Amino acid sequence: MKKNWMLIGNIVIVLTILALIVFYVGNEQERMLASKMEAFGNMTEAMEHVTTNYLVGEQQVCNSWANYINANDLSAQQAIAFVRDAITSPEIMAHILFPDGDALTGLSTATRGPAGDDTVSYRNIASFTAELEEHLRQNGAVSVTRAYTNPVNAIQSIAFCSTVTVRRDAAGQPEQAVLLRIIPVSTFEKKWSFPTDDYKNAEISLIDTAGNYILRGHSFKNSNFYEFYQSYNSPGPAELERVKEALAGKPGVMTILNSTGSESLIAHTRVNSTDDWIIVTMISMKELGHTAINWTLGGIITAGLLLLLAFNLAIMMSFNRQLRAAAEAADRANQAKTDFLSTMSHDIRTPMNAIIGLTTIAGKNVEDAAAVRENLRKINLASNHLLTLINDILDISKVESGKLTLSPVTFSIVECAENLVNISQPMVKEKNIDFNFRVNRFQQEYLYADQLRINQIYINLLSNAIKYTQPGGRVCVELREAPGQTDKTVRITYVVADTGMGMTPEFMERMYQPFSRQTDSRVNMIQGTGLGLAITKQMIDLMHGTIECESQVGKGTTFTVTLEIPLADKLMDEFMLPPIRVLLADDDEVLLETARDTLRSIGVEADTAQSGAEAVRMASGRGAYRVVILDWKMPDMDGIEAARRIRAQVGDEVPILLISAYSWSDIEDVARDAGVDGFISKPLFRTTLYDKLSELLGNENTRADQEDDGADLADMRILVAEDNDTNWEIISMLLDMYGIQTERAENGQLAVERMAKAEQGAFHLIFMDIQMPVMNGIEATKAIRALSDPWASQIPIIAMTADAFSENVAECLAAGMNGHIAKPIDMKLVLKEIKRIKEGTKR
Amino acid sequence: MRRHPRFAALCALVLALMLVLTACGAQEAAGPQASDVGFTPRLDSQTEGAVTVVGHYNNFEALEAEFVRFAEYYPNVTLTYTYLDGYSKILSTALGNSEAPDIFFTYPWMGDWADGADIFAASENLADPALDIDLSCVRENLLKRDDQGRILSVPVYTTTYGMLVNEDLFAKENIAVPQTYSELLSACEAFRAAGYANPIMGYNKSGELLYPLYYPYFCAQIQGDEAALSALNALQPEAGEYLRDMLELTADFMRHGYLDLESCSALKDNYDAVILRFFEGDVPMMLATGNTVSGTEKREAKSEAFTQNPFRYSFHPVPSTEQGAYFVNTVSIGFAVNKNSANLALANEFMRFLVCTDELNLMAKAKRMVTPCADMSLDSVYAPFEKLDESRMINLSELGLIDEASSQVCRAGWQVSNGLMTVDEAVAAFGSIA
Repeated sequence: MKKNWMLIGNIVIVLTILALIVFYVGNEQERMLASKMEAFGNMTEAMEHVTTNYLVGEQQVCNSWANYINANDLSAQQAIAFVRDAITSPEIMAHILFPDGDALTGLSTATRGPAGDDTVSYRNIASFTAELEEHLRQNGAVSVTRAYTNPVNAIQSIAFCSTVTVRRDAAGQPEQAVLLRIIPVSTFEKKWSFPTDDYKNAEISLIDTAGNYILRGHSFKNSNFYEFYQSYNSPGPAELERVKEALAGKPGVMTILNSTGSESLIAHTRVNSTDDWIIVTMISMKELGHTAINWTLGGIITAGLLLLLAFNLAIMMSFNRQLRAAAEAADRANQAKTDFLSTMSHDIRTPMNAIIGLTTIAGKNVEDAAAVRENLRKINLASNHLLTLINDILDISKVESGKLTLSPVTFSIVECAENLVNISQPMVKEKNIDFNFRVNRFQQEYLYADQLRINQIYINLLSNAIKYTQPGGRVCVELREAPGQTDKTVRITYVVADTGMGMTPEFMERMYQPFSRQTDSRVNMIQGTGLGLAITKQMIDLMHGTIECESQVGKGTTFTVTLEIPLADKLMDEFMLPPIRVLLADDDEVLLETARDTLRSIGVEADTAQSGAEAVRMASGRGAYRVVILDWKMPDMDGIEAARRIRAQVGDEVPILLISAYSWSDIEDVARDAGVDGFISKPLFRTTLYDKLSELLGNENTRADQEDDGADLADMRILVAEDNDTNWEIISMLLDMYGIQTERAENGQLAVERMAKAEQGAFHLIFMDIQMPVMNGIEATKAIRALSDPWASQIPIIAMTADAFSENVAECLAAGMNGHIAKPIDMKLVLKEIKRIKEGTKR
Repeated sequence: MRRHPRFAALCALVLALMLVLTACGAQEAAGPQASDVGFTPRLDSQTEGAVTVVGHYNNFEALEAEFVRFAEYYPNVTLTYTYLDGYSKILSTALGNSEAPDIFFTYPWMGDWADGADIFAASENLADPALDIDLSCVRENLLKRDDQGRILSVPVYTTTYGMLVNEDLFAKENIAVPQTYSELLSACEAFRAAGYANPIMGYNKSGELLYPLYYPYFCAQIQGDEAALSALNALQPEAGEYLRDMLELTADFMRHGYLDLESCSALKDNYDAVILRFFEGDVPMMLATGNTVSGTEKREAKSEAFTQNPFRYSFHPVPSTEQGAYFVNTVSIGFAVNKNSANLALANEFMRFLVCTDELNLMAKAKRMVTPCADMSLDSVYAPFEKLDESRMINLSELGLIDEASSQVCRAGWQVSNGLMTVDEAVAAFGSIA
């Protein structure tokens, strides 16, 4: 309905514009026409002057002849002979006529025949005598006849008249006669045209007051102007009378239809030198430049306006469709966010409930140390879950705002895999899932990429697989390396396959959309934000990687992620052991093969055994192998039994390592009793093997990070700029546990003032909160960096803030800070940062 | 489109408006279209020139309409009609002067003029195949060929004689339009009885009173009588006997006194005066010729009486026998081309354009004359003539009566009708009646 009104409104506007154009053009045309009509009328009046001058001139010539004749008492023959001599143009003729009954006869200047007949008779010219008498009676300055047929030469002519007194013959008495100076109409017409090319097609007629033509232009029809007017305009008697009165009156203009039915302009003016002559000029309105409304132009304008209207409507409808689609999308997004917030509310309240409830319980049982410890452990778990939830929300926020950026660092893909295994172990163990993590030998361990995001991708997919796989199910992970598109990259393929509940095709179409969770009662029982896959997909896209998914409901899901990752500069040669020979036993042939390759890559040759018994047999020779590596779970004889037997054969000289994909805490005591010297986790990474073998062989070049107890950080002094009392209390107490001394500044301004007054070496570094009253951390850092004391201005400053986005980190570094720790704080990271600062290393 | 009916409708509206408006513009731009008469110009359409037609008509609107139509093919040719004072006396002079006309009027009796030979000597042979003028559209018996088989003039109008009948008066008085001589008398009597002072009138100068009654009757009597024609053309006094029946008829009609000579003599001419008198509306029958009828339509508006009280009228043959009336048809005017014309090619081209059924009939209709074409599309006012049997048609061209003999017949009739001569006196005076 609204569209119809809009359409009608537009059409009304178009029609209004057209009407205005027509109205304006019409007005302009009328104005111009009036101007042109006036000009044409003026020109006609000018013609009257020309005509009068001509007529008067001709009349004067005729009068001068008459005067001479009258003054000299001439006979007709003498008079005509005089005039014959006086005529200078062969076109002009003169007649002297006497009344002859009801006609006129006389002499002509022209002669005919061999006898030189110069007589002339006007007997056959109807009513000419009466007309002539009428002319002579008139008092006008000019006395001229209508156009008539000269009886001597049959040429249409006009004649100027004067009365003369002559004798018919030499002996006769003087009689009054008429002298005619006769001029061909064609001669008159040549002199009687508009003096301007603007009116070259205008035509002129001379009429008398009765409308009879004295001279007639070609376009003037009939023998009488009023008949002509009647013939082609069909006026009523009153209208005809009005036209007659108009022509007999003052000069003026009027429009009539000519003989072709075209509108023409008539201008009329009386000839002053005569009593009853009127000059009537006629020009077609088209000639005058008056045209009707240009319908072609009107058509083009109309079409243009309507096309514009159609175009605008089409564009508007297109916009409406887009707006409708956007509104629907926004509605869906709002609904999704509403659903998400509902979910979030639930998901946040759940761990919060645990934290608050357990804290209350711990408070009630503060005397029971075991119960408090258990409550704190559970609180820690709930807190971690809450943190994960918040991190996911932050990540998707970044994704949605397009602010997710990558921070590439050099990292070990092996460590990454180890981390994956370590992280997944608790869940795998909890759900009793058959977990198989297979890693092909990596030629390129050190890569240059955003380790954090890669970990996030791998963990997301793996944790989903474990979460959505029923207890007793199976999760297989494969991480493999392939040559990259260039020699400076490798292609890392990560495959996670589970035997979980699978996904429907419908859900798979939108599984990468934020806040999407499959509608399934089983899914609803599993904690999740619906953001993991969306974040994962966005990160993979950001790294120009691919993710593929195959899934069948009830059978399981397989995700395959492929990333092209640049190589790091670190060389493989840095991880080489002295050439030794080891025995490696596992029932998995693939593992044996890859492990042997991995060992060879660090300079170790390995013999393989596919069972515990074979390993026992091969290890029986004393000194045959420098180290024995046994898988724990082998079908006939497990690793512990095999270790016990080998130890019995070879004594304590040969170190024995036990391989396990699971946590060995449950079997550690039994294994050590059996003679196992150490444990190593599957998969067998190059660095893992290198570190463990180095440790067993007493090689000082170990890579194992020592557990950092922070003892070397004691007596350090840190200024903490923190406005929140609780946060200050937490950080101060945590740092105090490591013997680190702290001093508080409640805002940035106080921190700056404190540093300005501090003696050199009073603090080793500053932990700076960002959002603080009076002066925020950024401003405070800039102010400290601007201090005159070089020590104060160069003191390391680490941001410690809940502003955890990368742009916040960038802003901190730009302000002159040396590092960034996000709240809630991870004490390990805090200690690491402090240590880094202390050692003076740069990031 | 099915999904967007409004859009389709809008497109259709745009298209329709464009077509309508641009068509208006196109029509305006194109100007008048050439008619579908089938005329194919033989000259370059951009040919420039001027053609002058001269004649004795004071004005000739029908011809000027043809000029306009011809200009559709030749826009740069100017055609002019000029009235010549004393046409019959001056034509030969005009043909010899420096502004000689290109086309001129001719009459059937022109050959009898003293300078007739000179005039026709200056005429183009319009039957010349090279001119490609289609003369077949003209009734053959109207085409006059000379002894060399040339056709020097093409008829443009023909005329006849009869009476204008006020049909409304006949209807009002419940009187039938007369078909026989006795019915004519009865009708006059009935109107006289009804109080009409002039049941019948006619122009009473130049020997034309009762001419439409007796002249067709006379022609019918001598038609095919070679002896009579020979004697009459020789103006032999004894040939006056061939006029006796006609004169008796005239005298008989006059004896009834239905024709008031005084009223008839008051009519100043056989054109405007006759027509305007008839339009007064109180004269049931007005004797007239086709030439007079040609002026009726135009003068309807000029007549205040007719404008205020218009009536239906038609032109009927005057019944002179109990068998009915005769339809005498004769050429009124023809066109000849001056073969010495400076614009001969254009003049011939105009004749080629004009001489066809469509154009000649248009001219006849415009002037309310009888067409010379074989296809006689007569004006409705001439409808009564179409009802006459073909056997009662007389073509004066075929009759063979010369102009002077014909004049003697008219004068004799006029003398008798005016009571200036008895029948016997008129018969005896044949050949010398002034």
